Amino acid sequence: MKLLKPSWVNHNGKPIFSVDIHPDGTKFATGGQGEDSGKVVIWNMAPVLREEDEKNENIPKLLCQMDNHLACVNCVRWSNNGLYLASGGDDKLVMVWKRAAFIGPSTVFGSSSKLANVEQWRCVMILRNHTGDVMDVAWSPHDVWLASCSVDNTIAIWNARKFPEIVMTLKGHTGLVKGLTWDPVGKYIASQADDHSLKVWRTMDWQLETNITKPFSECGGTTHVLRLSWSPDGQYLVSAHAMNNSGPTAQIIERDGWKTNMDFVGHRKAVTVVKFNPKIFKKKQKNGSTPKPSCPYCCCAVGSKDRSLSVWLTSLKRPLVVIHDLFDKSIMDITWTLNGLGLLVCSMDGTVAFLDFSQDELGDPLNEEEKNAIHQNIYGKSLAITMGSQLSSTIIENPEMLKYQQEQQRNQNPNGAQASGPENQTPKLTNVLNGESLEDIRKNLLKKQVETRTADGRRRITPLCICLNVSFSYPGTSHQRCSTLIPQISSDSSTANSLGLRPSHDPTSTSPNKTAEDNKDSGTAAVNSIGMKSNLLLTSASKIEPMKALDSRFTERSKATPGVTSVPLTIGITPLDRVKDSSSVKEPKGKDETSSDSEDKIVVKSMTKRKGEMEGAEVVEKRKKGRPRKDAKIMPISQPFPQVTFLLSTDVSTDGVTYLEVENEVSVVSGSRLSQLKWSREGREWDTLLPSRIIIATGSSDVVAVACEDRTLSVFTACGRRLIPSIMLPAPMSALHCSGHFVMALTASATLSVWDVQKQTALVKNESLNPILSGTDATVSQSFLTRQGVAVVSLSNGKTYCFNSSLETWNLIADKQDSLVQCADFRNCVSSQDALGSMGPLALTQGRNLSAGRLASRLSSMPHHLQQGMTLAFLEKQLASALILLSASEYRHWLLIYARFLVNEGYELRLRELCQDLLGPVHKSSSSSWETTVLGLRKRDLLTEVLPVIGQNLRFQRLFTEYQDQLELLRLK
Amino acid sequence: MAKVQVLNVSVLDNPSPFGNPFQFEITFECMEDLPEDLEWKIIYVGSAESEEYDQVLDSVLVGPVPAGRHMFVFQADAPNTGLIPESDAVGVTVVLITCTYRGQEFIRIGYYVNNEYTDPELRENPPVKPNYTQLQRNILASNPRVTRFHINWEATMEKMEDSENVDPAPNAMLPPTSMPGKAPPFGLMPDNSMDCL
Repeated sequence: MKLLKPSWVNHNGKPIFSVDIHPDGTKFATGGQGEDSGKVVIWNMAPVLREEDEKNENIPKLLCQMDNHLACVNCVRWSNNGLYLASGGDDKLVMVWKRAAFIGPSTVFGSSSKLANVEQWRCVMILRNHTGDVMDVAWSPHDVWLASCSVDNTIAIWNARKFPEIVMTLKGHTGLVKGLTWDPVGKYIASQADDHSLKVWRTMDWQLETNITKPFSECGGTTHVLRLSWSPDGQYLVSAHAMNNSGPTAQIIERDGWKTNMDFVGHRKAVTVVKFNPKIFKKKQKNGSTPKPSCPYCCCAVGSKDRSLSVWLTSLKRPLVVIHDLFDKSIMDITWTLNGLGLLVCSMDGTVAFLDFSQDELGDPLNEEEKNAIHQNIYGKSLAITMGSQLSSTIIENPEMLKYQQEQQRNQNPNGAQASGPENQTPKLTNVLNGESLEDIRKNLLKKQVETRTADGRRRITPLCICLNVSFSYPGTSHQRCSTLIPQISSDSSTANSLGLRPSHDPTSTSPNKTAEDNKDSGTAAVNSIGMKSNLLLTSASKIEPMKALDSRFTERSKATPGVTSVPLTIGITPLDRVKDSSSVKEPKGKDETSSDSEDKIVVKSMTKRKGEMEGAEVVEKRKKGRPRKDAKIMPISQPFPQVTFLLSTDVSTDGVTYLEVENEVSVVSGSRLSQLKWSREGREWDTLLPSRIIIATGSSDVVAVACEDRTLSVFTACGRRLIPSIMLPAPMSALHCSGHFVMALTASATLSVWDVQKQTALVKNESLNPILSGTDATVSQSFLTRQGVAVVSLSNGKTYCFNSSLETWNLIADKQDSLVQCADFRNCVSSQDALGSMGPLALTQGRNLSAGRLASRLSSMPHHLQQGMTLAFLEKQLASALILLSASEYRHWLLIYARFLVNEGYELRLRELCQDLLGPVHKSSSSSWETTVLGLRKRDLLTEVLPVIGQNLRFQRLFTEYQDQLELLRLK
Repeated sequence: MAKVQVLNVSVLDNPSPFGNPFQFEITFECMEDLPEDLEWKIIYVGSAESEEYDQVLDSVLVGPVPAGRHMFVFQADAPNTGLIPESDAVGVTVVLITCTYRGQEFIRIGYYVNNEYTDPELRENPPVKPNYTQLQRNILASNPRVTRFHINWEATMEKMEDSENVDPAPNAMLPPTSMPGKAPPFGLMPDNSMDCL
């Protein structure tokens, strides 16, 4: 073991309360007291690890310091992915920091020190909830949550994917909460407080799992922190300050039954911090000796108020090492390097120490795969598997696979280069804006900047935005800011771009001038002391006097500058985007009332022709009054029909907007009233007359269908030619849809018919809705026809059915109450390119309901095998539904997700079956009933898409090769 | 914590004749969207002896300020020579740039300014009554003196106090029709009325 105290790691003698090593091991953060504020410092790890780096002046030691915390920082913790740093302090705040990649090294403006921040870390989120000092923060496994605990006796669980959302506040402690630790499996979080208790909370429902008080009942006195820790195998939880026979101990709590039979004894004063080594170890194999199977063990460091540090192996009864008098004051925090061989300790005395162990001393660390195997043995769930396993140790067995893997890497590398690009291109990026160099902009900034006058005549300058701030980006979600900002039109073309984004709430307010009131603060104000270069201005000695007098003016908030006193009552109004407003309000109506076409089509339309959309929306609105109710329980329609009924219909296959206009009772000819149907698309029009009142009219790109009061249905071509003589319906029409050359009719007697008017055949013949309606009070809430001629009926109870004409059955394709939908978690399996494929009739029926598992954020709350099963069941259901709806793009979409899920979760048998079905028989035989296509997609093409997914997991490399070879073989044939 | 950090101030048009306007190009960074404007001021210190002779050359509102990095040029007219004591016109003085948010000053940037005659003869024998047309202003741009103050960036507490102290009369006097523009969206009403307070 080597021991080092790097003296350069300090907060100028002020206490260091927390230390944490970055997951990549290249840097570490310290938190503690600064000059007049809290301080977080990020240090370079290399000079700690290597003496030559420490001596090399070109290698920076300090990377960044942040004094944004108003008061002492008690805890700093890196997120597991290393992107964020969370800090909590006496100012009751939790701050989340992110590296601002686009900013190069810089000094603080006006600061005399030449010490530049090498890396720029910016506070991207301030979490305000606690009413007292924040003592500890902890990221959950996979960074799903961030927990913080405080002297306000509560623990806040923050949604780390959606800051500053609070998932839950855990209340129950009756004393200051001073330590937090997550169960490495993610099932629990444990907290220790001054109230002589250690509580374990479930992450499933955030309720108390157990409350352990016995080992703490004797605890007298108090420690600044109580940092407890959970072992990497999840089996043991070790508390800080506990007592046994009036001696201070660290209590070991077994996961199994929360038994408290063992403890770490030996420290003379209270234990402040316990930290488990992230690695699990096994005994070092001696050269020559035969490998004996030995139990893996964990390693744990314990720091105490008695200024000593002990390191324990769970396989030994006595500590591995005890170091006394390492510091002058209490140990405050411990952190291990990720490889498990290094250890940083910090103390209240403001110093840190680094311990370096060898593998001979600690043992052989298990690799990730072995660790996963242990997790899987104990919990049936491996953390790594859901996160894409790192099977670095698996041997690639054949060149095919190797080639594939290399290709993958090559594909990833450009991305990687891009990611690091902005850092390298810093000067370029900040100096070029909208194609204009920063220099050009600066030259003309005065002329170009937008200056207005407020109502009271004050100048107001709109600053030129050079770059938007680093923002907390959540994986998979778009830039949040965009949604809250609306474009503002700027008359100045050059600045328009950069000023394009501005908050929609735009208070043109003025700041009230209360300078005088604030003067009392000036005494305590921070003073930035900067030496004045004496040789520059001093033209004569006599000038020195006034300058001294002037010096005070730099630092005092002046009394004589009350400013322009005016608090005008201006109310800023962002000009309303009226066009957008009106269209967005009406659009949903259009969706509901347009009976023939599906939702996504309307979206397309509104994008292509906004003007048309608005007119259309109005038309639809008028029509609403007269539309017969689509009540499926189904009585003769008795509503009076209005004089004029309009109906809108659009089709996505054409860019333009199509109108159908109906006018009933245009003229009365020999006692019978005539109704007129007008059709127009892109200026082309036709009209026709019908002898009865029209109740519904609808159309598609190919046909127009009209239902009349006299229970007839007429079908015309898109050019107005009658296709078939009037169809006599058994009951009045309730809903009528067209799609392509299919016509669907839902009658008032709850029967469904679908015709193919081109082939003149019936796909569905007067099929009763009774099977799906009987036994419920539900009514038909929505119905539509897919482009493939599948009729879909949604009921008011949230269930959606389609009629399968080959089986002649009603099939349930969506159910809003379905718990599978809510619990299935396949977010890991959805890739960003998939978004387009997910559009279709299935998505339409399931709608927003399908938010990729709303409850799935409680990832670890449910037993993993249960969740796995639910997701599997759900995905298979989606696949079958897409198949029955004849929706090819959705089938492909879900097939890929399904395949990814199978690969991630390791369902080899199902994967094999899937591949077998897609590949089909290699040798043709007459008896085989294998279809080469599914929904018009060639199965073997699908397999070609699925195989790379399989290839991502080396565990399936044999499967991959097997099918890859066969595909290759078939291709050669 | 300070939501606004001044990153840089460049002094433009320096040195320049005394009568030229002051120009500062200010770059600052803002942590999160500010609901209210920043108020910047340029103060010219007429005499080292007394604050009496301080002149606020100009004050501007800067906004809206979304989170991010911004820059603008603050230009203000030269000081009114009539307000400067004749004995202090030539020599070293100070110009200050201050920024306030919600009426609280959180940064003060000071520069030494040297006013000199360019003409050697005038420099040797300066007239009793300063000849401002011949004076050259030289701002010591390389050495800003920056002082930062902790202020309360949040509105909540202060607003509570304000609303208690403020006479409601100005609000009551404002007829509803004088609201600028059409009716603001309902969602904005509470915000704005808070601002009025």
